[in-house]
Amino acid sequence: MSAARGEHERLLNWPLLDGIPSLVAAAHELKSPLVLVRQLSLMLEDGDMPADEQKRMLRQISLTSERALRLTSDLTRSVRLTDALFDLEPVNPQQLCQDIVRELQPLFSAHNRNVKFVSRKNPLLLVANRDLLRRIILNFSDNALHYADDDSTVIIRIGLLGAGRIIRLGVRDYGPALPIDILKSLRGKLANSPTPIHARPQSSGLGLYIAGQFANIMNGKIGVTRHSDGSTFYVDLQASSQLSLL
Amino acid sequence: MSDLSVLIVEDDEWLAEQHARVLDRAGYKTMITSHALAAIQAIDDNCPDVIILDVLLTGSTAFALLHELQSYGDTGDIPIILCTNLASELSIDDLKHYGVKKILDKTTMLPSDMIAAIKGVIS
Repeated sequence: MSAARGEHERLLNWPLLDGIPSLVAAAHELKSPLVLVRQLSLMLEDGDMPADEQKRMLRQISLTSERALRLTSDLTRSVRLTDALFDLEPVNPQQLCQDIVRELQPLFSAHNRNVKFVSRKNPLLLVANRDLLRRIILNFSDNALHYADDDSTVIIRIGLLGAGRIIRLGVRDYGPALPIDILKSLRGKLANSPTPIHARPQSSGLGLYIAGQFANIMNGKIGVTRHSDGSTFYVDLQASSQLSLL
Repeated sequence: MSDLSVLIVEDDEWLAEQHARVLDRAGYKTMITSHALAAIQAIDDNCPDVIILDVLLTGSTAFALLHELQSYGDTGDIPIILCTNLASELSIDDLKHYGVKKILDKTTMLPSDMIAAIKGVIS
C-alpha cells in the first residue's frame, strides 16, 4: 500500500506528514476537534435527541474542547520558549503523574479506555519545569489515547537509567505496533529534535514536536520504543541531586 | 427507511459515531472502521452500498484503500464519498477514476449533507 503515498502527495499538492510547515500542521491539528464540536452542536441544535444521547454528546463536546484548548495552550507556550525563562526545579514525578492520571481519567473513560500510573516504592526527584513536564506527559497520553485499543489501559511509568542519573517517564499504549519504517523515521527525527516529527502515520506530529521542544529546554530528550503490541513514548530528564534529602 | 448499508471509515472515534448517528436516524445501516485494513475486511465481509471515507487515517491513507478497491472488479464499483478536512486540497476530477463520486468538506458540511451525498451517488 506504500505506493499510495506518492499519489497522496500528488493529489494533495503538499508532502504527506514530514514536510508540513508548522503553521499548516497547527491548523490541521486544530481542525479535527473543531469539526467534531461543530457537527455535534449542529445535531443538538436540531433537537429531537433522547436525553441520554444529548448528555453523551455534550460530554464529548466539553472533552473535545478541552483537548483543543490544551493544544492551543501548548502552541502558545512553544512559541514563547525562546523569549521566556523557565525555572528548573526539583519535581516529584510521582505526584505529577498521579495528578495527570486524575485529570485524564474522564477523557479516557469517555473513550472506553483506562489510564493508570504505576507508582514506585522509592520516591524520586528530577530537574524540570513542572508545567512543561506536565504538558509533555499530557501530550504523550493524548497520543496514546488515540492509538490504544478499545478497553485497554495506558500505563504511565517512571524508571531510572544511567546509574540513577536519568529519570525516564514513559507512556505505554497497547494497540497496533508502529511499522518499522515509521519507527526508523521517527527515531531519526527524535534524535535531531526539535524538528517536525510525527507520532503515527496520519498525524502531523505537532504534539510530539512541541513535546520535543519542551524536553530540550529542560536539557532532556524524548523518544519512542516499539513493542509488538503498542508503543512507549518517553521523556528522559536529569535526576535531582536533592534526592538524598527525601 | 432504507436497506442501504454505509461503511464509515474514520479514525476519529467520536466523529465516526456522529456520522453513524446521522445515518442511523436517516434509516441507513452503518458500519464503522478506523483504518484501511479493517475497511478492506469489512468491505469483503459486508459489501456496503456506499463508503464514507476520511483521507488521513491511522496506518495508511485513504488513497491506499482506493488503490486496493480499484484492483478488484466487485469492490471497484462501490461509490465512495470522501469526507475530509482536506477537501480544498482535492479535486474530484483527479479522484473520479478511483470511484470517488463526491467530496464532502468536514469543516463546512451540515449533518444533512452526508445524507444528500449518499442519495446523490446512489441515484
